[in-house]
Amino acid sequence: MLRLLWQELQFRRNGIIGWGIGISFYAVLYVGLYPSFGDQLALFDMGEMAFYEALGITDMTSFAGYVASTYVNLAPILLSIYAILSGSGTLAGEEDEGKLELMVTLPIPRWQIVTAKALATAVALFLILTIVGLAAAGIFSAIASQVETPVTAVDMFLSALYMWPLVMVVAMISLLMGAYLPNRRTAALAATVIFVGNYFGNSLANMYNALDAIKPLLIFTYYDNAPAVLTEGQAIADIAVLVGISLVLILLAVWAFQRRNITVGAWPWQRAKVV
Amino acid sequence: MTENVIETKGLTVYYGRQRGILNVDLTVQKGEVYGFLGPNGAGKTTTQRVLLDVIRPVSGQAWLFGLDCQKEGVTARQRVGYLPGELNLYENMKAYQFFDTVEAMRGKNGDKSYREAICQRLNLDTGRKIREYSRGNKQKVGVVVAFMNKPNLLILDEPTSGLDPLVQQTVLELVREAKADGRTVFFSSHILSEVQEVCDRVGIIRDGQLVATERVETLIKQQFKRLRLSFATLPPADAFALDGVTETARDEQSVTLEIRENLNGVLRTAVTYHVLDIDTIPVTLEEVFLAYYGGK
Repeated sequence: MLRLLWQELQFRRNGIIGWGIGISFYAVLYVGLYPSFGDQLALFDMGEMAFYEALGITDMTSFAGYVASTYVNLAPILLSIYAILSGSGTLAGEEDEGKLELMVTLPIPRWQIVTAKALATAVALFLILTIVGLAAAGIFSAIASQVETPVTAVDMFLSALYMWPLVMVVAMISLLMGAYLPNRRTAALAATVIFVGNYFGNSLANMYNALDAIKPLLIFTYYDNAPAVLTEGQAIADIAVLVGISLVLILLAVWAFQRRNITVGAWPWQRAKVV
Repeated sequence: MTENVIETKGLTVYYGRQRGILNVDLTVQKGEVYGFLGPNGAGKTTTQRVLLDVIRPVSGQAWLFGLDCQKEGVTARQRVGYLPGELNLYENMKAYQFFDTVEAMRGKNGDKSYREAICQRLNLDTGRKIREYSRGNKQKVGVVVAFMNKPNLLILDEPTSGLDPLVQQTVLELVREAKADGRTVFFSSHILSEVQEVCDRVGIIRDGQLVATERVETLIKQQFKRLRLSFATLPPADAFALDGVTETARDEQSVTLEIRENLNGVLRTAVTYHVLDIDTIPVTLEEVFLAYYGGK
């Protein structure tokens, strides 16, 4: 399976470099510009506006608050686009392109195919975030002398890696949709609907206390973007929940793929049973 | 005792409500080249995909080398080389990288000298990216992938599709060589002449059902004979209006007949008109095939 994993990583090489550089640019832009308007932001009073809170913007008066509200808050949203494209393209996309047929006819168990692809996606996301983290730490080091903050370059680097469990869940939702639904377009659409539903559900739940009950069901509940996460990191329990969800999604994807007819594009209820 | 390399029993596939294949029972023996013949949509590719566990039957079972295609498919597929009918490759790879990748996924370090020999025979430049290849060259890549590990069973879905006639002959030579090595080939095609050329037995599939399985020469013989009878005096038009006999052509000296039965009756009638000559005109598999489909 290691050979298969290596091949899958090779296939993702361009995506890792491209998305790594793209999101690094975003991080460099937002963090690098801080010294030029940090003083003005210090006067920015959001008061009790629930709207800002709903968008994940909790504090713009400090460097940590600004970075948490922009880079920590939005970079995983951007990377989720890659996660959805990569996750839905992994099985459903390759099936649409006709590449999966030859692979499943090789003497490789289907569970290994799914697992290798899931692991490759996990590693790809981690590598992208490593690039982003290095870029964020680098730009922070460049401006550190102009900013008063307890945040360190290591914190900036780790804050990128802390995004991994969240984007991993998004990728695995997409992978599962690709293993279950008949084509990539449907899988990507379903994953996007789930992702957007989670994001806006979380935003609404942040605005209205009456929606507190649904919070445990939303993946964004387990990703904190308060300023303190920059120095203290994400809660271990939240990371564990997201990693656990990813593992369950991989198992479900394996189960769905075991039952799948390749190249047919059939809906689940049209498929034959596995002996 | 003969060993069945492929065996299916009651194999049935539906795509939703659409028919795939119905109750297909077939056996292919070790060392045999089995031609699987039928028009587009008849069920050839579906049958092959079930054998390779790409799709699952709603009923029936299939075995390769005596191993269940679903439960023990991984073990069985270690001995199989496959060329799909619709070949889609990783376009950004060079051909030799693609071969290495497939071998890595198979967990084998194949006989590279054999692989290179096939590439040379097919005149395939493996140093170019696959996206730069013509359709024919991509098909050659598929042929190499199927043959390169010298598998015990080759499952080839229209292997000569998109190839020029010379390369088609090379592919057919590879099939013959595989047979000479004692390997088995399951060969689907709608090009009847090539099936006739390399296959020992042929199965004809129509509307998802296997309607005939015979040795190629037997199938040709058993269907009908075509005789051209030359006469000193041409018999009247209704002279050969016998059961199982169809007059298909007539000129000034001869009558051409297709005879499914009643050969004795034909000969008895013919001698009464002073026969000068009798020619047997070969019946091609294509004509047998068309007879099946035309309901002659």
